[in-house]
Amino acid sequence: MIKKSYIISIVVIVSFLGISATWVISKANESINELPAVIKKVPEFSMTSHIGESFNQDSLLNKISIIDFIFTSCPGPCPIMSSNMRTLYRQYRLHNDLQFISISVDPEYDTQEVLKNYADANGVNDERWKFLRADMDEVKKLSTDGFMFMSESLPAGHSVKFVLVDENGDIRQFYNGTDDGSISILRTHINLISFTDR
Amino acid sequence: MKQYFNFSLLSMVFTYLLIFIGGLVRVSGAGMGCPDWPKCFGRWIPPTSLSQLPDYIDSEKFNLVLAWVEYLNRLFGALVGLIILITFILGYIHFKKSKKVFVPITVAFFLTLLEGWVGAKLVDTVLDPITITIHLLLALVIIGLIIYSAIQAYYAIAGNFESKSSYHPHTKPVILGILICIFIEIIIGTEIRGGLDMSRKENPLIEGVILLKMLGPFKYMHTILGFTLLGLTIYLWKIVNDIKFISSSFMVNSVNFIMGLIITQIILGEALVFLEVKPLMQLFHMWFSSILVGLSVASFTFYKISMEK
Repeated sequence: MIKKSYIISIVVIVSFLGISATWVISKANESINELPAVIKKVPEFSMTSHIGESFNQDSLLNKISIIDFIFTSCPGPCPIMSSNMRTLYRQYRLHNDLQFISISVDPEYDTQEVLKNYADANGVNDERWKFLRADMDEVKKLSTDGFMFMSESLPAGHSVKFVLVDENGDIRQFYNGTDDGSISILRTHINLISFTDR
Repeated sequence: MKQYFNFSLLSMVFTYLLIFIGGLVRVSGAGMGCPDWPKCFGRWIPPTSLSQLPDYIDSEKFNLVLAWVEYLNRLFGALVGLIILITFILGYIHFKKSKKVFVPITVAFFLTLLEGWVGAKLVDTVLDPITITIHLLLALVIIGLIIYSAIQAYYAIAGNFESKSSYHPHTKPVILGILICIFIEIIIGTEIRGGLDMSRKENPLIEGVILLKMLGPFKYMHTILGFTLLGLTIYLWKIVNDIKFISSSFMVNSVNFIMGLIITQIILGEALVFLEVKPLMQLFHMWFSSILVGLSVASFTFYKISMEK
């Protein structure tokens, strides 16, 4: 039969591993469950959505918003950004407190009709994803003052970031909208805000 | 020669620790703790503050705890690689003519290099589920080879410790059956784990227990095969302890451990289903299965040696 000392050493080793692992897992959980601090408030702005509604800073209140800047005729990163946004839009289909906002940086070309078609092409069939437009000056102002992006060379030089804005209209974090790793962190943060709010 | 045996045991212990740490990375969600490889955020020592991040890496990816958990896995991996390299060199010095010792450790060494490369690919593919499974399976093959080589070396040093043994003719197929079932169980297990992650991502607001129910057939296959394994092990235990045959104490102990572990695994596995999926239990469930692989390989080797008279 197996000696007693064997059994004791096995119990000691397994307990030691178990305790260390518990500590690491709890530390990791704490660190994941730490929401990024508020960066700043989204300033006043006024835009129109692809279905003709007006949209301003107050439209961000009481909802969690994911915001990005794109233009519909963009050949570069926008298709990837919109595709990633579309995935999130689909994954959170049961979550009405979450809204997706894509702001056009090429308002001359992106008329309301063009944006409406772009929304259709992305399978948008409810209120959760809105495509906004406004005068170029207004867009630049929001992009630079609101989100601290470079805006000299719009439309081509727009940011590829997704911005997480909480229910108080406060910017929480920026994520790379073309990078799966970044988006997975965004997902964690969305879940965290929605669950802590309940 | 003794030195080789000692180092192969050291390789075994450290590889098992590494498998445990690897599982810890998985359950603590630290897989992408370092978004680059082999460096962590462009540094050999992971950064301790945001200001140390290079420009080309997005700052939201930085999480101090996760970075260090992942980096611990890499550092420990490098250490294990070094120990296996030394074992391989000692094998070359003392056992290069003994195929049964030298071939497995050689293969183990090259698979260890491959394992490092797969680890890098994991980071590249942002934790692709199939790559995660390959990463684990390779580790199990490596541990099996190390154990086989170690026991064969012991045989070469200490003489045939199985010379008095005589085993039931079913011993070999039963052990092989157990080994194959464990491998299938591990693959299904990683599928369940991966599927759980995937459906959690697709349905972010649904609880784990419900997600597990949504997985369906895979889960039942895992349970059914688990009980098949229990049946095989009970049979193995019976024929090894049958007084009509003679078993070495190595074999008896190893089969006793397999029995104990299979029962533990079934309890842990069912607990995972009924008590919500707990990371610590998941980790041990995976780790014990890797120990089962090792014990089955050991039993197989004992049997093989008993045939050499």
